[in-house]
Amino acid sequence: MIAAPAPVTARAALSASAFRSPTVPTMQATPFLCFDGVTIRLGGREILSPTSFDVARGEFVCIVGPSGCGKTTLLRAASGLVSASAGEVRRNGAKMTEPSREVAFVFQDYGRALLPWRTVEGNVSLALEAAGVPAAERAPRIADVLAKVGLAKHAHKFPVQLSGGMQQRAQIARCLAQKPDLMMMDEPFGALDALTRQSLQDELARLVRDDGLTVLFVTHDLEEAIYLGDRVIALQANPGPGRPSLARMIDVKIPRPRDQLTTKEHPEYLHLRRELFAFIEQGHE
Amino acid sequence: MNRHTPSLRALRVASPTPSPGATPAARRSRFRGVPGKVRPFVLPLLLLALFEWYARRAAALGSDALAPPSAAAKAFVGAAMDGSLWQATGFTLGTAALGLLLGAVLGIALGLVLGLSRRAAQLGSVSIEVLRPVPSVALIPLAMLGFGFGVRMELAIVAFATFWPLLVLVQSAVQQVEPRLLEVSRVLGLSSRERAFKIVLPAIVPRLFVALRLGVAVALVVAVTVEIAANPNGMGYAMMIAQQSFDPALMLAWLGWIGVVGFAVNAGMVRLQAWVARRMGVQP
Repeated sequence: MIAAPAPVTARAALSASAFRSPTVPTMQATPFLCFDGVTIRLGGREILSPTSFDVARGEFVCIVGPSGCGKTTLLRAASGLVSASAGEVRRNGAKMTEPSREVAFVFQDYGRALLPWRTVEGNVSLALEAAGVPAAERAPRIADVLAKVGLAKHAHKFPVQLSGGMQQRAQIARCLAQKPDLMMMDEPFGALDALTRQSLQDELARLVRDDGLTVLFVTHDLEEAIYLGDRVIALQANPGPGRPSLARMIDVKIPRPRDQLTTKEHPEYLHLRRELFAFIEQGHE
Repeated sequence: MNRHTPSLRALRVASPTPSPGATPAARRSRFRGVPGKVRPFVLPLLLLALFEWYARRAAALGSDALAPPSAAAKAFVGAAMDGSLWQATGFTLGTAALGLLLGAVLGIALGLVLGLSRRAAQLGSVSIEVLRPVPSVALIPLAMLGFGFGVRMELAIVAFATFWPLLVLVQSAVQQVEPRLLEVSRVLGLSSRERAFKIVLPAIVPRLFVALRLGVAVALVVAVTVEIAANPNGMGYAMMIAQQSFDPALMLAWLGWIGVVGFAVNAGMVRLQAWVARRMGVQP
């Protein structure tokens, strides 16, 4: 029923040694994003124990796990906001040392991540200004991304005038304006009500498919992880000395486009849901 | 029981001395005739009337030290008519404003540098902690030596006095900028110049205006003090002259006028600060 973590470690080990063993047939020489023994220690505490896995271009990877297992830290390392104490993160084979405009980051606390003195339009514009887009080209690009996230009518509003869901859409719009090829999302829908969350999930899935984005999505909601992800990675807190934080890796082979009703009745969805819940339960004992 | 309630309520309003069971609300109801906007002015008017009565009595007993408010009002009208009021007010306000501008520009600039760079803050910390507590009026002798009597001396002291609060408040405002916004600027790839002008500076504007409001109050107090102590110009000096020429009515007129000017300037700054805070997206 529950697979032992052994295959995971084997796969992780394979990816770590991908450079040295070109004989592995299914592995590309340089994966799009590669975590190679990433370890993060902050203030004498090991937040993330050696973690290795690869992400393919266009893949939607969800990361779940109990609080304090290093999900957010993993994401911050992948975007270059914190640097690894040991191991490294490689994007297209190059080591990530600092944030890049090709990597967008959607923060959980949208209320604090938006500039309160700028309108929605102005907040999106910030990404274009940072990228040095000439003023004349900004307006059409802003209108374009705002239309994509359904905020076209609210372009001139200030963040305080918007609901939580709309503020998060504004933040996603700003990230899309960066034209990233990799998007990090740190529990982006965690603070939203259930209905808003569902519609944002569906819109995100559509946006990601249209733009061919690669996504790393941290969530504490297992159902959300299965619903959105091509793959779900489960981390464990305090794995013990010498053991990796990465505890479980599950491929989600549910056809797309997915639907809030039919997908959640799909036998594979129910099966994975049971498996993940059982796994998390086990970790809590 | 219920049928008796209306008559009870009527009794409570009519009764001059409320019954022991009456609530505070019922007792307050006797002031219901005074409109809310007028209420804050009741006490000052009462005090003025009391002062008028006391000063007249003192004058009747042969004292030259006090003048009743009515005489002060007369002296005020005289000063307003001969133009000395406006000339002195203009001088004090103008010098305070210029001095504040000087102190604020320097204070904000240095505050930004010290707030953004930890190394600069460490470098400057001792000098600031030693210089900041020096009372600004203690600089009057030095400023007199350097600039003589006049505008420049007063300007220098007002600038010195307003420089420190602005420096310290701006520095702490920069250090308190929402860390998430700084992360956003890193992720978006803003240059450090863009970060200073597009994130840090707008983020501190509401706090900056709090600091400016404080600076305005300091500038006015210091300007008048310098005029009283040394500079033969402005409202402070006019008040001193009135006192030295045994004209308590004119002296009181100046005192009251300085209070009114201070109140008006502060009220203006409060409004400006609230408007800026709203404009910069701070929730009231």
